[in-house]
Amino acid sequence: MFLAPKPPLTRVVDPSSASGEPDVTHLRVVDTDSYADWESVYRDNVERLYRLMYARVGNRADAEDLTSEVFRTALGPLRLASSKGEVRSYLLTTGQTVLASHWRRTLGAPVTTIDPESDMNSLAEPSGTEEPSDAPQRARKILAALPDRYRRILELRFLEACSIKEAAQAMEVSVSNAKVLQHRALRMAAKAGLEVEQ
Amino acid sequence: MTTRRLSAFLDALAAGRRPRPFQADPEDVEMLRVAIALRAARPGDSVPDENFVAELHQQLVDDLNPSEQTNIRPLKVHRGRVALVSVAAGLALVGGTFAVAETTNKSTAQQSATAVPQGQALRTASFQSPTGQIVGQIVLYHGHPSWVYMNVDLPHSNGPVKCELHLANGEVVAAGTVQLHDGSGEFSQSIHMDAGRARGATLYDPSGAVVASAIFI
Repeated sequence: MFLAPKPPLTRVVDPSSASGEPDVTHLRVVDTDSYADWESVYRDNVERLYRLMYARVGNRADAEDLTSEVFRTALGPLRLASSKGEVRSYLLTTGQTVLASHWRRTLGAPVTTIDPESDMNSLAEPSGTEEPSDAPQRARKILAALPDRYRRILELRFLEACSIKEAAQAMEVSVSNAKVLQHRALRMAAKAGLEVEQ
Repeated sequence: MTTRRLSAFLDALAAGRRPRPFQADPEDVEMLRVAIALRAARPGDSVPDENFVAELHQQLVDDLNPSEQTNIRPLKVHRGRVALVSVAAGLALVGGTFAVAETTNKSTAQQSATAVPQGQALRTASFQSPTGQIVGQIVLYHGHPSWVYMNVDLPHSNGPVKCELHLANGEVVAAGTVQLHDGSGEFSQSIHMDAGRARGATLYDPSGAVVASAIFI
């Protein structure tokens, strides 16, 4: 649930007073940190939300579908009077549900998640950075924990986009051996990844 | 372990294609999490395609301002949205069924649910536990009368779980109590409120602790 924002109150003097002294004082709600319309919400967040989804699913097609689903479900009920922070929190919470549904449909288990609190930086950081902020760093940590051959097969496959056949040729092993290497490397990296996150 | 399907998923991921679904076991999930983290670190694809951004913008214009729809540009319909419409249609059928029973409370089979487009009579949301697990669904039907339906699946739980609806104006409305049997239960009841005002729902156990919450999107 999203609570109503608490915008600042501004003291407004009635200009009709001839003496210059304020004889009527109103309190008017002024919110300097909100979006003017839904298009502003979209423009300001679409790229960041896509990057976040891409970091969570690892492929463009799913990232596009999930980003679309978030905006198409979130923008209708959105209250524009909310602050930018609340709107982003709302988008992230919607994204959390959308991503959870995606994994439930596709793999039956939550492979990755969105946490509206810890992932707020993903939407709040300036747009235009080339990569999600923590993706390269996390990849380096994972790879650094692996023996050379395990690290190399994962680099070839997921960072250099080699097919399993190309990766096998690059490592001068059979395709079957490359598959085994990949499987063992991922299993070891999974344990290392969990240790990195703890 | 589902080795062949896991390999196919990894091949698609490495090649930048949409992976095919399969039922992953816990070890698969851990390995896939690593593969996705590595794939996400590769330069390039993390920037959205300009055409995608423009197309989605146009779709949102059509969604939010139906009177301005031009009918000139064909909408790009993804498989996921076809499924969404199908599920929404199914839920509409369920909504129609609600009207014949004042209140029911019985054990349940798992129902699927997803968001329905704004402006329709049905609103749905998934209940998520504090640890992020999906533990049920809630459906609000806005009509005369309005109805609420929910199913809850909390393994190792029994007894009553109270549901409260959170309205847009900050009010909280008791929606009813689900009786869990062997961890599962479902519940439906007519409600005397505007279902369109609900923003979320929370489930509480008898001690008052939050066991799950849902947000209507």
